[in-house]
Amino acid sequence: MPLLPGLLLLPVLLRLSLDLHSGGLNLVLQFWQAALQPSLNPLLLRSLLNAVSTTLLMAVLSWLISTGAGFILGLLCSRRVAALFGGSGWMSTWLRHLLAPFRAIHELVWGLLFLQLFGLNGWVAVLAISLPYSALMARVLADQIDNRSSSAVQALKSGGATAASTLFTAVLPETAGGLLSHSGHRLDCAVRSAVLLGVFGLGGIGTDLALSLQSLRFHEVWSGLWVLAMLMFVLDRLRRRPQLLAVVAVLSLASATSQLDLSFPQVTSPLLNMSGEQLLGALQETPWAELIGGTLLVTVAAATIAVGLPPLMLLLTLQRRSLRQLLWALMRLIPVPLTALLLLFVFQPSPVLAAVALGLHHSGVMGRVMEDDLDECSSLQAEALLQLGAGQRSAVLYGRLGPISRPYLAYGLVRLDVILRDTAVVGMVGGAGLGWQLIDALGSFHWALVLLLLLAYAALTISGEVVSGWMQTTWGCKAVEA
Amino acid sequence: MPAQQSKTVAWSCLLAGVALTAALFGCSSTTPGGDTTTLRIGAIPDQNPEKLNRLYDTLSDELSDQLDVPVKYVPVSNYAAAVTAFRSGSLDLVWFGGLTGVQARLQTPGSQVLAQRDIDAEFTSVFIANGASGLKPITSSDQLVQLKGKRFAFGSESSTSGRLMPQYFMKQNGISPDDFAGGRPGFSGSHDATIAVVQSGAYEAGALNSQVWDSHVEDGRIDPEKVSEIWRTPTYADYHWVAAAKLDQRFGEGFTNRLQEALIGIEPDTERRRTILDLFGAEAFIPAADGDYVAIEAVGRELGKIR
Amino acid sequence: MPVLELLQAGLAGRLQPINLRISNGDRIVLLGRSGAGKSSLISLCNGALQPDQGRLLWQGQPFLQRSRRQRCELGTLWQDLRLVEELTAIQNIQAGALGRHDLLWAVRNLLGLLDPAPCMQAVNAVGLEPDLLNKPVLNLSGGQRQRVALARLLHQMPQLVLADEPLSALDPVLADDVLATLLQAPACLISLHRPELMHRFNRVLGLRQGKLVLNKHPDAVTESDLKWLYSES
Repeated sequence: MPLLPGLLLLPVLLRLSLDLHSGGLNLVLQFWQAALQPSLNPLLLRSLLNAVSTTLLMAVLSWLISTGAGFILGLLCSRRVAALFGGSGWMSTWLRHLLAPFRAIHELVWGLLFLQLFGLNGWVAVLAISLPYSALMARVLADQIDNRSSSAVQALKSGGATAASTLFTAVLPETAGGLLSHSGHRLDCAVRSAVLLGVFGLGGIGTDLALSLQSLRFHEVWSGLWVLAMLMFVLDRLRRRPQLLAVVAVLSLASATSQLDLSFPQVTSPLLNMSGEQLLGALQETPWAELIGGTLLVTVAAATIAVGLPPLMLLLTLQRRSLRQLLWALMRLIPVPLTALLLLFVFQPSPVLAAVALGLHHSGVMGRVMEDDLDECSSLQAEALLQLGAGQRSAVLYGRLGPISRPYLAYGLVRLDVILRDTAVVGMVGGAGLGWQLIDALGSFHWALVLLLLLAYAALTISGEVVSGWMQTTWGCKAVEA
Repeated sequence: MPAQQSKTVAWSCLLAGVALTAALFGCSSTTPGGDTTTLRIGAIPDQNPEKLNRLYDTLSDELSDQLDVPVKYVPVSNYAAAVTAFRSGSLDLVWFGGLTGVQARLQTPGSQVLAQRDIDAEFTSVFIANGASGLKPITSSDQLVQLKGKRFAFGSESSTSGRLMPQYFMKQNGISPDDFAGGRPGFSGSHDATIAVVQSGAYEAGALNSQVWDSHVEDGRIDPEKVSEIWRTPTYADYHWVAAAKLDQRFGEGFTNRLQEALIGIEPDTERRRTILDLFGAEAFIPAADGDYVAIEAVGRELGKIR
Repeated sequence: MPVLELLQAGLAGRLQPINLRISNGDRIVLLGRSGAGKSSLISLCNGALQPDQGRLLWQGQPFLQRSRRQRCELGTLWQDLRLVEELTAIQNIQAGALGRHDLLWAVRNLLGLLDPAPCMQAVNAVGLEPDLLNKPVLNLSGGQRQRVALARLLHQMPQLVLADEPLSALDPVLADDVLATLLQAPACLISLHRPELMHRFNRVLGLRQGKLVLNKHPDAVTESDLKWLYSES
């Protein structure tokens, strides 16, 4: 079953081979050669280190805020917590719905929006990441609490414990483990988000990467990528050591004021002087069906690539696990717009190319999920099949991929709405659609259109969520949210 | 382990809370909107970051010496961000492109154009084509119609020379963005990238800043077999310095004029000044006024980039 | 004054209205076939289920209006133990005293900052080895968990102990320990499947098809009483 999405790779490959042109091959070669000879110019390195600490700071700060806010909101969203305090639960259900739009809109879109509202300010990026992440964290926490049904709660309550004491003694400990690993994962996401925001001009290493790449200075690009890779490696090591993570957080916060302008932002709000007439005009002048259709197409194609590639690679490489992990790390490392530009050097622009750029990046995430799943799942079945005389590949297919296919696909569905949000970033390769229109509207300061596009995005994501929720119930599996 | 975890979670929360509060207090002690005694300069990011830093740090030193006020370069990394930063008062003097400068002035009452480079009064864009595209050099603008049905790349979406003016000249000759292959043009993100994607063949043609093109040609970084210039647009006014309102109130009577004079007075007489002019690719800065950009504003409005 | 009093309390379809008084010094065993309503009666007594008719009094006051202090005086040994799996044994045992403490105390317990001394009496009484105290309950064996739950109950120091089939899954030695511990409470109501143990109690209740049919001193219970109690309908 996890191989099914892989079938879509065939038409994609076909289309790509038609669009292939060798014109930029030497540029691509230069790019990869530069990987081994990053620029070591001390001035550049110093500025990169500065930039990477800005990125880290944005990520850590927004991670802390979103973990804290998400924690509180998550408790408020949980029906079980509401029941514990004697409420009926409708408030928490409503709060959950109320938070959905915040999750629905990509941090990049928030970032560009806040940039317009607050101007250049360190809080822009921090707030942009915190907002969707808090809402996401709240949902994950609420789901985790509500999906457990520990009987200890009743035991403690009937013994005279207050609702709050019961919360701290019975409800929190049982969700702590999952919460901890999830929040560790969120830091990794926050770093990648901060880099992406940088690519779109909110500062930090993403900005340096984007500007270097746009001026085709590959050696400088690679200095940045290596610095970033080191950061991600260190954070990944720390993922399982929360104490150290806290220390890193505190240290990077201590250096906060020198790196980011975190003064209180002043609102300059052009959004307020908008007339109904402008809204109507924007509504009529925009080809909505085409934009939404294009966005959905790219999303679905990218998702199938992201979901289909990792199992395929598993079958191709079998035991070479470290090779695959290197590949997944590389996919995650390079921000989507950079992948897109690199692909453009050798392929003609098309929506398929946009989907490939997105799909490759997210296959890095899916790949890691698959490896984690494989690690947790025993290989006994595969060994049994091998002893029955099955071939290496079919043993892996039935014995190892089989058991994990449901949670893996369920996670793929969750990924679908992340990818939908990410379509905003591939405008340049012909993956036009809502995202590109939004960036153009922001550049034209066309607020009426910006507002409408944001609404369209929110509506799409929420309906996507409904569909994926429905599919998950139909398949009888719940995504282990990560 | 899980019991250990719950402990750890609690401790990390506690630590994080303390750190966060400390950070917030630390931040709130800095004055809102930053230091008002420092002149903050910025620029739209149309070059590689290393060059931008070198260029504007040198310029900051020069201006600081000339005007006797602290000058700080604040890097901005996105065209729209520069406009917003200027509007919100985070930047006092910004090197804008034609379109972004007009956008910024319209959104920031009281701001004014100070100066441009000698080359900016008569700036041009070039149209380039891939060798295999079959596109021929254009002698008069009505031949632009041969671009219909081709894959065409602009640079950044808010660039004057890389998008606005090329699109305007095409429109005058009856070509709209949906006439290109795929129903829309591509946006490479920068002038350098436009050359790269056209040279590689991903796009058959593109338009960019003629200054960038010329410097590529001079440096021999262009393979004439693969990519060549097919047309140069008529001239228009582009890059310029825009100063915020109320600088006189903050830095003393007549400061805006002194600022303008300092910019215009940069001549290649010292090492530092030579570096500045060299990095800007100009012989000198010349006075400019709001009126020089009326035409750009009209084009911007016509193409929907100014509302 | 009785500790707990049931006045015509019943559960539709499961338990016919029952009058029952439990006073200090009562050690009551509840007998009956599976499905006779033993678990329902226990659940009714500890408030897990609300009566459809009649009412309950705790120390003369309406059951639902008990103060926290009073709720602390009613302890239950749950069949499924209801421990917080992720917390350590000692944290679980401390949690027995939650009814007497505030939120801050609960947080300190979560962080493992509490002095274990107050619950050592309970720990010793159930014979739990000290080196197990700091292990998560998750990693303990069935018998060890049973002892943790028992220690939590003792540390709660209830006036009345309720227990639903507390011995069903235990080996004989442990079963004897558990029963002996439960019988030390000021008053108890325990449902059992083993009529031969009734002489360790001072009152026998018999349930048959949701109806209270037996309420005697164990010495007064005859063979035919038991036969009828456990016969098919």
